[in-house]
Amino acid sequence: MTSVEVQPDRLIAAPPRWRELWLKEDWWAIWLGLGIVVLAYAFFAAGASIRWIAVTPEKWSTLPQLGAHFAANYSRYIVQFLAWLAVFSLALKALGHNAREFIPSFLFLYVLSLVIFALGQWDKANTYNLEPPLVALAVGLVFSNLIGIPRWLDAGFRVEFYIKTGIVLLGATLPFTLIVWAGPAAILQASIVSIVTFLVIYWVATRLGLDKRFAATLGAGGAVCGVSAAIAIAGAVGAKKQDAPIAITTVIIWAVAMIFVLPFVAQYLQLPAGVGGAWIGTSEFADAAGLAAAQTYGNLAGHGAVAGTSDQAIFAYTLIKVVGRDVWIGIWAFVLAIVATTQWERVETGRRPEAAEIWWRFPKFVIGFLLASLLITLVSSGYSLADYNKAVVPSLVAPIKDLRTWAFIFCFLSIGLTTRFRELASAGKKPFLAFSAGAIVNLIVGFILSAIVLAPHWENLGH
Amino acid sequence: MTGEIPLSRRQCGSCWHFHNDAKFLELAFPGLTSLSSGYGSARSDDGICLRHDKYLGARCVCSDFTARPTEFDTAETAADGTSQIGEAATT
Repeated sequence: MTSVEVQPDRLIAAPPRWRELWLKEDWWAIWLGLGIVVLAYAFFAAGASIRWIAVTPEKWSTLPQLGAHFAANYSRYIVQFLAWLAVFSLALKALGHNAREFIPSFLFLYVLSLVIFALGQWDKANTYNLEPPLVALAVGLVFSNLIGIPRWLDAGFRVEFYIKTGIVLLGATLPFTLIVWAGPAAILQASIVSIVTFLVIYWVATRLGLDKRFAATLGAGGAVCGVSAAIAIAGAVGAKKQDAPIAITTVIIWAVAMIFVLPFVAQYLQLPAGVGGAWIGTSEFADAAGLAAAQTYGNLAGHGAVAGTSDQAIFAYTLIKVVGRDVWIGIWAFVLAIVATTQWERVETGRRPEAAEIWWRFPKFVIGFLLASLLITLVSSGYSLADYNKAVVPSLVAPIKDLRTWAFIFCFLSIGLTTRFRELASAGKKPFLAFSAGAIVNLIVGFILSAIVLAPHWENLGH
Repeated sequence: MTGEIPLSRRQCGSCWHFHNDAKFLELAFPGLTSLSSGYGSARSDDGICLRHDKYLGARCVCSDFTARPTEFDTAETAADGTSQIGEAATT
């Protein structure tokens, strides 16, 4: 039993509505992500670039080489750290976090991220499968579960905030035309897999005697967007208080296991990068976990271990997961709220489902992702391919991509640092069985659609 | 007492038993921050009802509605060092 100590006057949060603009991290991810993109464009338009601050470790083969890189660029890293610290502190302060706790926590996160980033640039890293997303996750898990870190340090380990900011930045590197071209197939594939997965989990859970609301909570966790979907549906259907933590535990166990398994199974099957990314997009539950797996697979493609490019894995994953699955959470919540109030229990909560819920639950960071894509696509449209590769990529797109990589490493490391297995609620045999049944069906249906039915589509993504 | 309060003010969001602060939820739901957050849009304004042990939306209503205490009441409770909420919100 853990006592929750919260000041009474903070327990009731004001109704969101338009205050969401500064009270929800989705909007802050947009302000930060789009702010970086607009700033990058302003520098580019003035004939300069944000490349100086978007520094990343270079490829190295000996420690003196690495040391020389840091000796020559330490001021860039310091300025970059201060810039990240300033923007994240501003956002988290507005969200109600303690800035004094955030600063040392983020310093710890940044230094550890830098070490992992540098390790990933070692020319022998892929020989030992030292993919930065996996190393970050593993190191984080060791710290949180074996070494132990003080709870207050969690202030800087904001998994969801970093992943959303990173996805907005990712939008700037993904052509809008590609979203329009590949989006419908992504939505079709994701919808089929989501509906099948939800129905399997729901059916097995109710057959095992679990409450319908709990079954729906588990089903959404496996079918839509993991933990976020589970708590969204738990709230929409009025689940029991203890249902959400059980669903959270189940999702985390599966999601973390799949980060380590999926990329290597896909590699074993020699799936092209785009196909592997699409499969991961339909099979992983949470955005952050899936991106860790997709980036790992993209890196494998970058090393030549599988066909295709690194971007294909990331783009296919993002299209399936973000465009195909995440954006529908509001509709899932609305429909299930109607079912809950009209079929399962008519009077208990006295609630009438509102269509506006679709908007309130909409993952707003997707708007930033689309706007960033649209902005850079419009900027790029005036250039020939040769000029684009020569001028736009190095000065505008590449620095944004490097900052995106930083945001993702912060996220992957934070997953590990916040996942304390012993503190999770006990999953229980029946919920775990029901969820696992859906996850296995999800893997099979997702594979058939990604690697067989739509294989040519995903294999040639972006060509 | 509840009869004097308009329906819109008798929703869970205005009830003493209902708690939806993001920080509170992140403490009440172990693992929430590992792959999600209490501050995301998808959660909307849902929260925990300690009266019924349910997780539900802020616009739900029920017959056990208890108006939130006034600022004076809240300050008094905080000064005691304990509150109904602090004691009940355990996981």
